[in-house]
Amino acid sequence: MYIDESPDWNIENDGSVVCDLCGTEPATMHLLRVVDGVVSHTHLCPGCAESVAEENEGLALVLAVPSVLRHLGRSAPADETPPDPPEREERFCGVCGTTLTDLRESGMVGCINCYQVFIDYLQTSFETEGEPVEHLGKMPLRGPESDALKHEMMRLQRMLRELVECERFEEAAGVRDRLTELGQRLDGDPS
Amino acid sequence: MSAAVLTASALGLSRNEADRRFPHAEDPAALVELRQEIFDTLKGGMWDRAWRVHDLEAMSEVESTYLVERGLMTPAFAEATGEGRGFAVYGAGEASLEINGVDHVRLLGFRPGDGLAALWTLLNLLDDRLETVLTYAFDPRWGYLTTNPGRAGSGMRVYATLHVPALMLTGRLAGAAVGALGQGLSMAPLWGGAGGIIQVSNAGRVGRPEKEILQHVEDISRGIVEKERSVRKMLLRESAVQTRDHIGRALGVAQHSWSMSFPEAVTLVSAGQVGLELGLADIPGMTATSAFGLISRLQPAHIVMEHMDVKTGCLESPEIDEIRARLLREEFAGAHVRS
Repeated sequence: MYIDESPDWNIENDGSVVCDLCGTEPATMHLLRVVDGVVSHTHLCPGCAESVAEENEGLALVLAVPSVLRHLGRSAPADETPPDPPEREERFCGVCGTTLTDLRESGMVGCINCYQVFIDYLQTSFETEGEPVEHLGKMPLRGPESDALKHEMMRLQRMLRELVECERFEEAAGVRDRLTELGQRLDGDPS
Repeated sequence: MSAAVLTASALGLSRNEADRRFPHAEDPAALVELRQEIFDTLKGGMWDRAWRVHDLEAMSEVESTYLVERGLMTPAFAEATGEGRGFAVYGAGEASLEINGVDHVRLLGFRPGDGLAALWTLLNLLDDRLETVLTYAFDPRWGYLTTNPGRAGSGMRVYATLHVPALMLTGRLAGAAVGALGQGLSMAPLWGGAGGIIQVSNAGRVGRPEKEILQHVEDISRGIVEKERSVRKMLLRESAVQTRDHIGRALGVAQHSWSMSFPEAVTLVSAGQVGLELGLADIPGMTATSAFGLISRLQPAHIVMEHMDVKTGCLESPEIDEIRARLLREEFAGAHVRS
């Protein structure tokens, strides 16, 4: 029994991306409310969402999800200043045929090559404040050694940032040295 | 009061084969070939428990809904169509595998109560074994590559089911939802909000290791459940009569109904569970922890599969509501609110 992730979660995909309440800040969350059987969708910026949450006496049901698709749309500079149409059309994946427009509309890529073709767009779309976007979790057991080295370096870079923030400079220096060593190994690794 | 924080735990791991296009962009023949490759792997000797492969094309709506109700299949996969899709269940339902849904493979695990850590241990193991035959699409920076780039990274989705009727009734759920969203989690009602049962899950892409994501979901869930428990105590302290009345009426309806919809049944069982947890009600044969199991058994496809003729039964049959009411009468026989 899993929540049904219906398209309603991204209901405003083709519409406004600003907050329904203040009309100025970008909307980053989607609140679905059912009060006395009446369903309403509201798209809110974080500030307005907090005030709405405080004011909602008698609220019967709520759904709160960030809209990935909306986030993709919001982050695309092309939406604000339309680029030359030919250039836009040129952005497509040669392996699966996915275009940037497809990606914007569906939020889906067609193959691993898309991650390279649309890298600028995806990087902009998934920048989040305070959260590391580099993958620091599990990795395939059978991957190349260079993947393992890069993975370990990203883990150490994160550790280094945290140690510097805590002003634990001696430990940070040790981590930095280890990073340098791994960097040299990676440079000398033909894979 | 129940010691469990989560009413149910679920986990999903999405993976793709590096050498093929993702399912929506791949040729049907290639998807069928991949499915066969995976099926052959599942039949191999590397598994501790046997996989049971289901034929999706021969599966009735009742059977697929039954799998969804058991947490073995996601609703989106059950509703989708297309070539090359496959499905298999591990052991007695400890895990399951969706093939060529949104991604090439999605491992799923579901169990009642607090079980996220155990589910991760199992799914991680199954994932490692699948990887011995599949070359996973992976990038050191992006992590496991998925059809939806917003899910790339761990490829893991954590679902924590929570029972929070007091927060819902008192209108405090919005605050909890916005708070959870601020922490990178989404919150949604599981059965249209019936019984105050909601599901919290990790919403977007983060780079954190899997165990940190699990811990994060558990911590936020614990905070929400603690808030629920304190609101229940407040209700009992400040509105003792109304609280008893609410639970007592639920027990009365459960004991004397002859036809019952699923949402109403969830709401009644939920009220009974609150009564048990607050020490206000006696329901012989039911405990706070068994309530979710009862709700599961009252779902439409469960009733058809377990109490009706599977060949002729359909999910729209009015008999389902009658059987559900009978099961509730039996379950709530002798139940009463303590004076």
